[in-house]
This record gives sequence, C-alpha cells and structure tokens, in this order.
Amino acid sequence: MTTGTTGPTGPTSTAPAAADVDKSPRPPGSRGRPDRTPRAPRGRGGGGRTRRPLLGRRVNPFAGAGSLIWLVVVLVPVYTMLSASLMKQDQALTGNPLAPPSNPTLDNYNTVLNSGFPRLIGNTALVAVAVVALVLAFSVPIAYVAVRTRDRWSGLAFRVFLLGVAIPAQAVVVPLYLIIGELGLYDTLLAVILPTAAFAMPVAVIVLTGTMRDISEELYEAMALDGASPMRMMLQLTVPLSRAGISTVAIFAALQAWNGFIFPLILTQSEGPRVLTLGLFTFMGQFGINIPALLAAVVLSGVPIFAVYLVARRALINGLMGAGGK
Amino acid sequence: MKPGVTHRTYSRRWILGAGAAALTAPGLTACGGGGAGGSDGGELTTYVYGDDAVKVQRSAVKRFNKSADAKVKLEEVPGSDYVAKLRTAMGSPSGPDIFFNWGGGSIRPFQEAGRLTDLTDAVRADPKLKNGFLPSVMKAGELEGRNYGIPMRGMQPVILFYNKSVFDKHSLTPPETWDDLQQIIDTVRGKGITPFALGGVDVWTELMWLEYLVDRIGGEKVFARIQNDEGARWEDPAVLKAAEQVKDLIDGGAFGKNFSSVGYDSGGAPALFAQGKAAMHLMGSWEYPTQLGKHPEFAEKDLGWAVFPTVTGGTGDPRNVVGNPTNYWSVHANVGNKDAAIAFLTEMASDRYAKALIANGDVPATAGAEKLLDSSPSPEFSKFQYKLVQDAPSFTLSWDQALPSDLSAPMLTEINKLFVGQSSPRQFVSAMQGLK
Amino acid sequence: MGRPHPAWVLPGVLFFAAFALAPMVLAVYLSFCDWDGLSAPRFTGLDNWTTLLGDPQMHRAAGLTALLVLASWAFQTPAALLLGVWAAGRQRNRAVLSAVFFIPLLLSSTAIALLFHSVLDPNFGAVKQFGEWFGLGDQNVLGNSTSAFLAVVFVGGWQFIPFHTLIYQGGARQIPEVLYQAAEVDGAGRVRQFFSITLPQLRDTVTTSTVLMVVGTLTYFETVLILTKGGPGTDTTILPYLMYHTGFQKFDLGYASAIATFLVLTATGLALLLVRFTGFGAMRSTREGM
Repeated sequence: MTTGTTGPTGPTSTAPAAADVDKSPRPPGSRGRPDRTPRAPRGRGGGGRTRRPLLGRRVNPFAGAGSLIWLVVVLVPVYTMLSASLMKQDQALTGNPLAPPSNPTLDNYNTVLNSGFPRLIGNTALVAVAVVALVLAFSVPIAYVAVRTRDRWSGLAFRVFLLGVAIPAQAVVVPLYLIIGELGLYDTLLAVILPTAAFAMPVAVIVLTGTMRDISEELYEAMALDGASPMRMMLQLTVPLSRAGISTVAIFAALQAWNGFIFPLILTQSEGPRVLTLGLFTFMGQFGINIPALLAAVVLSGVPIFAVYLVARRALINGLMGAGGK
Repeated sequence: MKPGVTHRTYSRRWILGAGAAALTAPGLTACGGGGAGGSDGGELTTYVYGDDAVKVQRSAVKRFNKSADAKVKLEEVPGSDYVAKLRTAMGSPSGPDIFFNWGGGSIRPFQEAGRLTDLTDAVRADPKLKNGFLPSVMKAGELEGRNYGIPMRGMQPVILFYNKSVFDKHSLTPPETWDDLQQIIDTVRGKGITPFALGGVDVWTELMWLEYLVDRIGGEKVFARIQNDEGARWEDPAVLKAAEQVKDLIDGGAFGKNFSSVGYDSGGAPALFAQGKAAMHLMGSWEYPTQLGKHPEFAEKDLGWAVFPTVTGGTGDPRNVVGNPTNYWSVHANVGNKDAAIAFLTEMASDRYAKALIANGDVPATAGAEKLLDSSPSPEFSKFQYKLVQDAPSFTLSWDQALPSDLSAPMLTEINKLFVGQSSPRQFVSAMQGLK
Repeated sequence: MGRPHPAWVLPGVLFFAAFALAPMVLAVYLSFCDWDGLSAPRFTGLDNWTTLLGDPQMHRAAGLTALLVLASWAFQTPAALLLGVWAAGRQRNRAVLSAVFFIPLLLSSTAIALLFHSVLDPNFGAVKQFGEWFGLGDQNVLGNSTSAFLAVVFVGGWQFIPFHTLIYQGGARQIPEVLYQAAEVDGAGRVRQFFSITLPQLRDTVTTSTVLMVVGTLTYFETVLILTKGGPGTDTTILPYLMYHTGFQKFDLGYASAIATFLVLTATGLALLLVRFTGFGAMRSTREGM
C-alpha cells in the first residue's frame, strides 16, 4: 500500500493507498480454500501489479507463531461473548463462564430486541445517513474547488481543514454543550449529527481532494468545449470519477457516526434520540450483571457492520483506514 | 452559586458569536426529523432514577396518563449516571419538567440558578399535599422554608443487612457493638466467606461506611459542621478515627479482595450477598426491594436486617441514622404545564401510591403510612424501618447529596482512594480539608 | 474555462466553522472562565490555568496519559508489525486468519469495552476461570492499580492492532521482491532479512501508524469510562477522562475546558513533533480521523 511508503506526496497518496490495502482479508466465501497458487490480482485495485509470491515461500516462524497467539487472543473474548450470549442467566452467574451454554437459548437476544434495540439501530442509521449526506454535500464542493480553482481562498480553506484534524472531538464537547443548548437542539438527533459531520469533514476533504486530483485536465477541457457549467462538470465528471474516494468518505463518515460516543453521551439524554453506542452504555446500567443479555446486545451491535463487511468489504476497509485514528 | 441568572441567555448568545448563530437558520433545524424527546406541549418529561423500585413510578404514570389530559413521559436514567445526567440536562435549556432528586443540597444549585418551581403555594393550597406527608420528611425537601420537593419514594435509612442462612449456619447473631462485628468478621472469614459485600465500583457504597462511623464516633454535628463550612470541618478527630476504622476493616479483609471491581448498580454486590458469598451488606433500605426484584427467594427467606452497631467510645447517639430521608419530585421552572405537573405530584400523596410503594417493600413517607404497613411483602421489615426512622434523633442525608457536586465528586474520588489503599487515613483527611 | 467560484466552499467552511472551529475557540475562552453549567460563565482570567499548572491530579493524569501512550505503542507496534508482515505473505490459512483478526474492527469502542468489562468481572466473568486455571490470586483485574492500567492498554490493543496490522500489511506488500532475492543470494537468514530489509523499508509505515496510534490513544475515553471509571482511585484517570469527570461530574466546566485545551495543544504538538522528527510529509499525518 502506498499510504505509508510513498512519502510526502500529499493527499494524492490516499486514494490509491486505500484501494490497495483491502486486498488483505479475502471475502469470506473464499476462506476455506487452500491457497497454494498465487491468485491473479483481483479486479480493480490490483492495478496490474503482478508480483511473484515470493514472500509466501519464506515462511516466517516468528510471525507465524505470533499470529497463532494473536488468534487465541482474539478468539477467546469473541467465544465468551457468543457463548455467554446464549446462556441462561443463572448459568452465567454461577457456572464456569468458559463452558459452552448447557441449554442454549435465544432469550437474551429477545430481551435486547425488546429493550428498545430496534430504535437504537434506527436512530444510529438515521444519524449515519444524515452525517454522510452532510459530509458529502459540504466536502465535495470544497475538494472540487481546491482542485479546480487554485486561488488564495481555496488554499486557505484547505489549510483550515488541515488544522481541523488536529482537534480531538472530545475536546470541544464542553463548548458544544453550550452551543447545542443555545440552538435549542439539546437532546435531539441533530445535536449528534451536526458536530459528528463537522468532525468528519477534514478527513473527507483531504481524501476527496486526493481522488479528484487524479482526474485529468483534458476531460474538463472537453466538457468546457461543450459549454458545460462548473456545476455540470462537478456532477457529471468529477463526482462519477471520484466514486472510490466518495465511497471511502461515506463509509468513514458512517463509521464515525456509528461509533461516536461522547457527543451522544453529553448532548442527548432521553430515550427518543438515543443511539446505539449510548444504548449499549445504558444497557450496562440496566442489565448490570445480566452478562448474557449485555453480551447479546454487544453481538447485535456488531451485526450491521458485519453485514456491510459481507457486501462491501473493500469500501469498509477503506473507510476504516480513514476512521482508525479515532 | 453565582447569581446573574437573568443574564444567562444574553451572555451565552454573545459568546456564541456570529458563526454559529448564522447556522440557526431554519434549514438546519428543520431538517431533523430525528429530533425526538422534546418536552413541549402536553407532555411532561420526567426523569427518574432507574433501579428496581422504578416500577412503582411506572405504574403511577400509567394510571395518571389514563385519566389526565397531559401525559407524563418517564425517562428511566440508569442509577450510576443519574446525578451527572440530571445536572447535564438541567444545564441545557431543555431540562426535564419533573425530576427525581434527594432534596436538600442536591437541588440547591438548581434553585440558585432559578431552575426550580417554588411549590410552596401549591402545597398550601392543597390539603392532600399539605397534610399528606410526614412533616420532617417534607421539611427535608425545603430550601429556606420554601417547598421545592414532593416525597415520592420510601424512606431510605442505611441498614446493616445480613444473610440469615450464613448467620444460622455459623451460629451468629447480628452485631450490637463494634467488637461483635469484629468477631463476626473473623468467624466468617475463617469459613472462606467475605464478611461484607461491597460494590466499590460505585463509590457511594463506600461512603456509607464513613457516614455511619463518623456519626457513631462524633455525632451528627460533625458532618453538619462540614456542610456548613464551620469549625474544624474534615479535620474533626472523628473523621480521622472513622477513616482509620475503615482502613482496619479493609486490611482485616472485611470486604474481601476484589470489592474494588464489584458494582452495586450492576447488581454484583447484591448477587454475592444473595448467593451467600458475602455474609452482610451495609446498604440503603432499597436493598430489600432490590433483592426482591433480583433474588426474590433470598429476599423472602434469608434476608435479615439490623441497626448499625455502636462504636466504643463514640459520642454519637446510637439511634441516629444516615441515608436518604426519601426522594422527591421537583418541578423545572420552565415547566410547560404546571397544573398538570402538580396534579401528578398530588398522586404521590394518595393511598393508592403509598400502597404500591409498600407492596414493593418500601416504607412511604406519607402521613398515614404506618397503618398500611401490614400489606408489605415483609411487614416486619417495613415496621422495623419505620420505627428506626421514627426513633432516630437525627437523620443525616447522604453526604454526596448534601454537598454540592463540585465538592461531592472529588470527595467520592478521595473516598475511593482511601478504600483502595492509595491514601492513608491522614492523607484522606488532609485531601478532604483541601477541597474548597 | 468553467472553474467553480471559490465561494462554493462557503457552506462547507461555515458549517465546519460553526461546529468544529467555533467550539474550539469557545473552549479556549471558557478555559478563562468559571462556569458551573447552570449560571452564566464568569471570566476569571488565568485562574484555571494557574490551578492546572499546580494541580497534582492534573500532573498525575498527564503522566498516566504519557504512560498509556508509550505502553500502547510498545504493545501495538511490534504486534501489528509482525502480524502485518506475516499477513502480507501468502501462507495457506492466511486469509482465514486475517478474517478472524478483522473481527474487533466490527465492534465499536463502546461494545469492546463492554465486552471486556464483562469478561473481567471478578465474580462472574471469564477472568474468574482463568484465575483459577493459572492460579492468579483474586482476579481483581479492574480493581488493582497496575492491572487496571494494563487492562486499558490491552483492550486498546485488542481493538486497534487489527487496524494497524492492515496498515503494515499494505506497507509490507510494497517492499520490492528483488531486495529479498538479493539478500537470499547473500545468504541472509530470515531474521536478518527482517531487520535489514523489512524494517527499514517499513520506516514510513511505522511513522504513519505511530502518529495514528499516539493521537488515537490520547483520546481513549469510552474504554476508561466503561472499564474503570478512572479508578481504582485515580489510577486510570487519563486526561480525556479527567476532562469528562471535571466537566460533567464535578461540573467545573471552565476548568474542564482548560484541560481540553491542554489536550488539544498536546495532541497537535505531539503529532507535529512526530512528523517533523521523522521528516514525514505534513499532509499524511493529517489523515487520522481522531
């Protein structure tokens, strides 16, 4: 991947970088297949970079052993989570927490689903959609101007966003509490949506600028000859050709919305606008040592992302690369 | 604490500056179909502490909503976050219309900031409110002689609970003196049982020990002086003595080894107690309804209760209790429908509500409660509790509620440090004295 | 020739200014105020900042934060580096394992913290069983200072190592194959190849990953809130948590703003320093989401 290795090339490096990393874990469908022969580069992203599979022959015993250890480290909590979520509460309270459920039951999932879980998912989805829409609506024109109109102002705007990424979201939660209250948005979904979108914008602008920079000048010139307005160029040329960057940004923004915690914690209170992360936190207070129900909620909270993983693995990983710093 | 409430809106707006204000533009606020939970119109948003006892309020709300035009919307806030959540909401312009609280110091900041409805006139006008509650309890919801709270739950003295089957098995009787207590600790420890369940994740459970010990050792005056910022405050010898006794308990294994990662709100400590892994539990009277909800069999058969023991050489009255006289509903100053809110509060004085509390194992603070106690799931416990409170010369409100949050939050941190051994009793005292 | 007017950026810039920049400016202003959240903020000049400089709890939180950053780096970097290099290879099972390694990325920080909170419950969690198996005394992981701190480090690693593994995996794939061929001709063993080829070639990747890690660790909050509430005592009270506690438990919102401002200055300074120190492009460092 180019993210780290191409050096100081600026934002241009991000898009190909993202497209490249996702070659790593293969789709679940191909999991069990032994992989003796080098696979042909898959579709896009492989970019014709054929390489001999030499790395593969140099078996690295240290890393191999390490990866097995890590496998255990990852799987034990995952196993406890799944198995406990299927237990009856008395087994979880008195029995061996590592033993498989003696009487598997889906009751815990039922409990969670009946404790307002669908509303949490709905709210979170709404927040995610709104955040993505806002981020794209605001960032695409900025990136477009930054690429197409190289004047003092767009340069300044761009630098403002670079500055913006240095602000950790939680550092502004106190003033946001004041602002959101004054705007009359306290305890509404908008209180979560607006700042989450604002804090996703810097990364979005940088990624989009990178993608858009790769669009060749001739294409614009051709459209200009047809008398296309800047708006038409943006909608018919830039946006379609920046699909990769846009989907990265969309996933990144959606993940920010999906994982955000401190904004909902401080800026919402009631059940109405409660989102998933905060709902989980509330379950912790509500379910207490009803560990099976709590873990069922944790499992369920991962299902939507898992679904995205199944259908859009590549986009998800790209988005994660953007979101990971969080 | 700071006056100048009337300027609040103005100065905040001023600080905001043009940037944000420009964005108040209709487009943004209007696009939020998601904005739920508003408290306008006929709906009265009501915050309540979300523990097992909440079901009494839940059914009261249901009843009220059936008959009244206005609707009460109950928000059950998980206990461990209640204080912070309430304060955060109260600081915003859209706080709850009605909210659960502990009276006294717990609502003083709201009153000073002009966020409370003065209920005095409403109480005077309605004999049901005026005569419906025990005068002493009613008084604890007052500030400067004005009424800001209506009692809505049971009395909550802190009681020494014990597991009867553990006690029977080892032929123990409830402790009357500190020496008795020590002996019980030694006995059960020898059997591999933790003497006291303690949910140290929730620091207020640790606080109870200090509250009782300080009261037994130095009397109720010690904390009263701390609260009023008089005299030696935390440097009163009784505080140091109490802290030392706490340290002895911890070092002597009275709470077991992992109390600092056991929670009360999570149900951890009650479960250990009900399972017989711990022999005793110093807890508010709500332990009974909690156990009734979570471990009904244990609550009905094996849950025993006793008065906190006397401490040798202590000058405090051994009949004193600590805890919460009760909980109150208070009404926000910006309440949309004040009459409906008061109508809902009047429900709290009804016999029907009192009976529901009693059925839950609580002892209501209503005037006629005593004669209803026979309908309690455990009349014995209810009467014990009633008498305990009635006979007590003083009932000290939980320190964390009596003190404002800028003192109580660091106080809880310091108490936790004392319990986990990060500070010595002396360091504890000087840290507390340093809080201002 | 049909270029968009610069004013096109205005809606976005204004939006960003309103909900990101204005709050930051306001945070700085509030750091000079006394504010309890109920009455109006009152300007008190440098009071909060002088308090901050002399506040032992602040010093301790800053120290713990630094320690957390270092410990997290020391835990996550070698693990992610090895795993990433390994995953870049083509062993059989690699795909299956990589998919497993991906699992933590499906869960939010909140979910992961909750999961471990349950696992680490001394009386009802899986740790009870491990404690019995390995003879680890009281299993009071979250209640002991050192182990609670290590738990925060570990849970952070569990969550973020998969992500950094992805970064290293991508980096390792970029290393030209000829370097290894040449080394093999020279008779260099695997360990030497790792240290003389892989590691130097991954230098920039290490920087990227480090910057992301450091800035990411500085904002750990849910993990601490859910796992330890900053305790036992104040032994896991790192700066973000201290800020939350000061602001929304103690309701000293002015002082909380001072801590927040300090946190931003530190995060920015550290990121810049790392970037400058490693001679790394300024743009790249800014890709982290924070």
